[in-house]
Amino acid sequence: MKKNRLFALTLAAVMLLSLLAGCADKPGSGGKETGKPNTPVELNVVTSYGGDDGNRKNYENAVKGYEDATGNKVQDASGTSNEEWKAKVLTDFETGTEPDVLFFFTNADAEPIIQAGKVVDIATIRAAYPDYADNMRDSMLAVASDGKNYAIPSSGFWENMFVNTKVLADCGVAVPGPDYTWDQFLTDCQTIKDKGYTPIACSLFEVPHYWFEFCVMNNGTLDSQLDIPASADDAVGKKWAAGLNDIKDLYERGFFPVNTLTATDPETVQLFGDGEAAFLIDGSWKVTHFVDNYPEHLEEFAISYVPAKGERKASEAIGGISMGYFITKKAWDDPAKREAAVKFVEHMTSDDVMSNFVTTEVTALKNGASPSGLNELQQSAADANGAITGVVGAVQDAVSPECKAELFANVQRVVTGDMTAEDAVAAAIALN
Amino acid sequence: MNSSSTLYKKKGPLVVFLVPAFLFLILYLYYPFLQNIINSFSDISGLGSPAQGLNDPWWTNYAQLFTDPKLRTALGNTVILTICTVVFQVGIALILALLVDSIRVGAQLFRTLYFFPIVISATALGLMFNLIFLYPSGMLNQLLIGLGIISESVDWKGSDHFLATMLTPVMWQYVGFYFVILVTGLNNIPSDLYEAAALDGCVGLDKVRYITLPLLRNVLCTCLVLAITGALKVFDLPWVMFGAGMPQNQGWLTGTYMYDQTFNRGNVDYGSAIAMLIVVLGVVLSNVANRVFKPRNDL
Repeated sequence: MKKNRLFALTLAAVMLLSLLAGCADKPGSGGKETGKPNTPVELNVVTSYGGDDGNRKNYENAVKGYEDATGNKVQDASGTSNEEWKAKVLTDFETGTEPDVLFFFTNADAEPIIQAGKVVDIATIRAAYPDYADNMRDSMLAVASDGKNYAIPSSGFWENMFVNTKVLADCGVAVPGPDYTWDQFLTDCQTIKDKGYTPIACSLFEVPHYWFEFCVMNNGTLDSQLDIPASADDAVGKKWAAGLNDIKDLYERGFFPVNTLTATDPETVQLFGDGEAAFLIDGSWKVTHFVDNYPEHLEEFAISYVPAKGERKASEAIGGISMGYFITKKAWDDPAKREAAVKFVEHMTSDDVMSNFVTTEVTALKNGASPSGLNELQQSAADANGAITGVVGAVQDAVSPECKAELFANVQRVVTGDMTAEDAVAAAIALN
Repeated sequence: MNSSSTLYKKKGPLVVFLVPAFLFLILYLYYPFLQNIINSFSDISGLGSPAQGLNDPWWTNYAQLFTDPKLRTALGNTVILTICTVVFQVGIALILALLVDSIRVGAQLFRTLYFFPIVISATALGLMFNLIFLYPSGMLNQLLIGLGIISESVDWKGSDHFLATMLTPVMWQYVGFYFVILVTGLNNIPSDLYEAAALDGCVGLDKVRYITLPLLRNVLCTCLVLAITGALKVFDLPWVMFGAGMPQNQGWLTGTYMYDQTFNRGNVDYGSAIAMLIVVLGVVLSNVANRVFKPRNDL
């Protein structure tokens, strides 16, 4: 009987303890670190290099290089960058379970953690470590709303037009150059459509933002791209509406895939990759996708220019450096982790490591990155970037997530005539 | 004997065992539920963001529930899903159970085959059905074109077909679940009843009508209650296949709409109000279902 009672009590105690287990500190976050500078520490790191990110392998190698050099251990909790991941990161900060080093967006997405004082500004870090990120151009560091710099930028991105040269050749259409006009584009699309191909690979259900950015710029200028409308009736609001109407025009001409309102992004990208569509607006990250999935057909793809109208030139593109490494206040205030965090960021943003991450992307490195062994597609991207005359960030990054979600969800209603472009802009702005 | 009676007299061990489960429920069910009620009246503009006080007026989100056209669509689709669940999931499961119960060889094989979809994750099933319904060259389009039934590929996720495309995999996935419950119920019907009925000339469909179905009533009632309440919670498979309201905001269910508002749009307070609506609907419908399909003890 005593045995039974003892067993019952033990079982109950184990169940109770398992309930409380979730309340325990994360490994390596405990306060038992003694602050000895040479004691190996565990660093909690969150980045967007998780899942199937094209740079995952490079990231793992870079982390291993850091661990080998310092003896420290990196507890990696990286994820795939999307709205859910952003929300999770911000929630971790809210609940006090933030990492020591965070690789995150440097735009409005980071404002909640900056305003809450959860990350350390670069000036403060440089007061203790004068050489911190001295290989970076300070002019390219992202400036927060309080005027301070917080993140050390990693590689940037560009968005431009991918073309399937095999499809274009079959249709007798020339690969667009930096003087490509909207009218010529419409003519080319009609030729391609008549030949039985899909002119534009795009899922208006999932990723209408690529075309939105360029269509907005086509109805304005590079300099005014980041202006946010105060209402649908002001000049910026009208510019947005005109951009949406340009997308509607392309839809009505039948230049998007038949199922553009029900297809996913991977499905339409596959359409382009398989040689069934001619044009695709996408970002620098898609180069890795084609290198990984179509290694035998890279010569069939090229990076070109998005057709221009109005004051915009086709050689003007969307791009910039939108992400960087933050050191959290939690790590900075921990004597055991402070130096480990600083060294980690310095290692990850060093010229050598950055050169592994970069193929054609923009960097803030003073000496520039030195990528080697570019394949046909990467070389094409490098050539196109060489002819770029202006780059500006994406306006979608300057509005609230709710505004962005509403705007892009309504693109399908605009193109089908279920809603006017002006109403779509008004509905989105009301949520900003 | 003495020791066991002592065990039941002493309530201490019972309390020790009940407390962890009770704490678990408080921590992970009742506290979040109460917090959800508070959230539905608050102004929360991002997932993980603190509330900026109460909404002005505090019932804003609940008023919005009545004017939101997407929520109306979601409720309409959920009602259709519930009806289809009762008719097709339980209906097909019943037919299959009756058929399998009447065969002598291979019954166990069919039980395994029909139950199999239950053990596959909804995400995997969603990806599989995405390939089946893929436009233009998914399996279904290829098959129908090959058989000469259609001449051009059909966009099965388009406005004309999306409901059938969304409901078919959901129906298919859970037929096996009710099938197994019903087969178990059929096995509990004494075989001497069938033998006696056969002597009186009651065979075939008459046997099903006058013996099987009446004796299966309680099991069927349980299946119907489970099906109705389960339909309100369907989320994963439609989300993987249709995402945010595809096509053109016609494909919302209450579950997918709540998720989209909360996680994609950061409209946490409105998402909480939708969650409350789902809870209220669940409680009301399960009570109605329990009353309508009340098991009878005289069978």
